[in-house]
Amino acid sequence: MTISTALSFAEMSEAMRLAQLRADPSLSRFDPLPRIVSFDDFSRGHCGWSQLVGNYEDDLDTMLPGYAQHSSAMLSTLGHWDAGSHGGLDSSYALKIATRPKPGAQNVAIKRHTFRKRGPIRFELFFTFKPEASELKLSETDVRSIGFLFDLQGGDRDGDTERVMPHLRFLNALNGQHLQKWQYKRETTHFTPIGSEEKTLSHYHLAPEGWLDLPDGEQRLCYNEIPTKVNWSYLRFDYDLETMTALGLQCNDRSFDVSGFESIRIPAMKNLWCMLNFCLFAETDVAKRAFLYIDSICISGDF
Amino acid sequence: MLPENITAIVARNERWSGEAASEPYEAGWAREAIFFVRALKQPLGRAPTAWVEISPDGMRWVREGTELAMPDKKDGIAVARLSHFGNWLRVATHFDNGAECTVLVTLHLKA
Repeated sequence: MTISTALSFAEMSEAMRLAQLRADPSLSRFDPLPRIVSFDDFSRGHCGWSQLVGNYEDDLDTMLPGYAQHSSAMLSTLGHWDAGSHGGLDSSYALKIATRPKPGAQNVAIKRHTFRKRGPIRFELFFTFKPEASELKLSETDVRSIGFLFDLQGGDRDGDTERVMPHLRFLNALNGQHLQKWQYKRETTHFTPIGSEEKTLSHYHLAPEGWLDLPDGEQRLCYNEIPTKVNWSYLRFDYDLETMTALGLQCNDRSFDVSGFESIRIPAMKNLWCMLNFCLFAETDVAKRAFLYIDSICISGDF
Repeated sequence: MLPENITAIVARNERWSGEAASEPYEAGWAREAIFFVRALKQPLGRAPTAWVEISPDGMRWVREGTELAMPDKKDGIAVARLSHFGNWLRVATHFDNGAECTVLVTLHLKA
């Protein structure tokens, strides 16, 4: 019997790409699109994840309070007072985003790119979160939320004139209620002029107002049984830069319907063309620091 | 491979008075560290001594031994060089009643 299975060049290329990905221990746990934009495992430093600093002019006092609270992310071995360093998935280190110990406090890390083609992009990461282990209690409702957002704007000749900011958060708890659900946001706060030269505006898009439930977005994650035990979870968000729409959201074994998902959309800004920014954030519900840990992130695109 | 280094901003435009300290920062990967404390505005009252603290867990703090004189004028900068600190680091100080300083605290770490 002759088997005629002549593979096309494209099929052969894809088969070779997948074979190489799956044989690579650091990338095999991801499902990247054909081109990897960046792969960050935090045993090689901060990999470009810096703090989201607010806009200002002449004086730092002009920075909106939401941004003023932000500080630099750090590299952590998840060292715990009772069990020592937890470590990451396959290295000692993870990126740690820590809030201040004040109810509602937030912190945000950002990675800033631009894009060279408008098409599908994929954002994959392994994450976990915990409150600071300052009490000998489960503390499962102390972290309010963890999440991510993109900050996007088309090219200067593209004709569309919007800045688009998809936001998603896992609302773990609010005012002590354990809610455990995914939410999105389509409205930001009003724009505030910064300084006196009429060159700079600012808006705090992570303000607590305006979060909406993703349909069927309830999910119970693996939190584990004391504040110093953590488990890594997988998260994936697919987005199309051409149509500026969400294509998919997956967390561990659950895929969510994003057909009703909408992004924050505001008029294009005069100096942000082809912007492709990624942010990660944490928020605490109580007077205790909340920690978002990221083991690794793979950002990929089809171009 | 070049050794890792990072500049971290651990306090920016924070108005310090009374008991004050920077947020905990994990630096276990670094062999050396330098804190810079810059006064962004004219300090009020007596400029106190500040000190570096280390911690076994990021929650309980002990003095590392290094001290630095807080800046006594706008844009004055205090410095502390460190080379043996474990993982967690912060700067702490205490101001007399009525004294204050608006600070920019930066931490420079090198593997």
